[in-house]
Amino acid sequence: MEAIDHKQRAERIERSIAKCGGEDHEMKIEGAMLAGTHWVNFILHKLGVTKGEQDVMHSYMLTVNDLRKYCVADREALEALAEIEDIRPAHVRGNVAGGPAAAAHALALLGKIRANALKLVPLA
Amino acid sequence: MNIASHLDKIDRFEKLRARLDPMEDFELWFWSTMNAGTNAVNAALHHASATKADDVFPTQPGVYLVPGKNGELVSAYHAPGDVLHVGRPKIEGPLPEDVTTMMQAMGVIEHHRDPCIRGEREPTRAIADECDAALRQCLGLLRKRMATPGQAWKP
Repeated sequence: MEAIDHKQRAERIERSIAKCGGEDHEMKIEGAMLAGTHWVNFILHKLGVTKGEQDVMHSYMLTVNDLRKYCVADREALEALAEIEDIRPAHVRGNVAGGPAAAAHALALLGKIRANALKLVPLA
Repeated sequence: MNIASHLDKIDRFEKLRARLDPMEDFELWFWSTMNAGTNAVNAALHHASATKADDVFPTQPGVYLVPGKNGELVSAYHAPGDVLHVGRPKIEGPLPEDVTTMMQAMGVIEHHRDPCIRGEREPTRAIADECDAALRQCLGLLRKRMATPGQAWKP
């Protein structure tokens, strides 16, 4: 997928997240993961680190070698995506207390990734 | 995870799906659909005693977050509890026909996941309708199982 498509998908998912309410912490977290992944791919494509056919699906599915390489491009974004992914087992698949706070944290992490991505927009 | 928590999540995913537009919000609508169905399959598997309803949470097939000595969650190998997706992991052994049918319905939904969510296939109304029908079938079978006389689930 090309960078512009990742941006459009991420923004569409963020508009959908805005329709979630206080009881929808799972989908806020999942939306943060989905949109965050698109923004990370946008960053990697914009910087010429990966091509459209090399999209990241989950940070934990990357080889150690690729993760190290991508962190050179934007460690903060990759680490934020990994942190969102780590929230999922307890609060999306699980029933651990504190789901709404976990969702708020996931959305803050998404905000960091988006901010880093949008710094690259002038490169378009 | 325990059955009551699965049912609670299904209920909330259903309410959210009703607020989302299948086309404008396809990704989150689809993800809510898939999560509702996966929770239904997990609840049915627990009800059929095919998997454990322990409050442990999968991180990858065979690995779960489990309570540690001080109450914190730690990663550990664990007997099959919740599946992440139908087939991850595959649940061995003969399963009741209704649960197998639920899994097949989830296969219809999962078939669209990577092309439409990760890939470049544009979602269509037909795809959304197909996913919606599959979830309806899945949830219908779960409700029937939960209400079966003699096996009716009580919280």
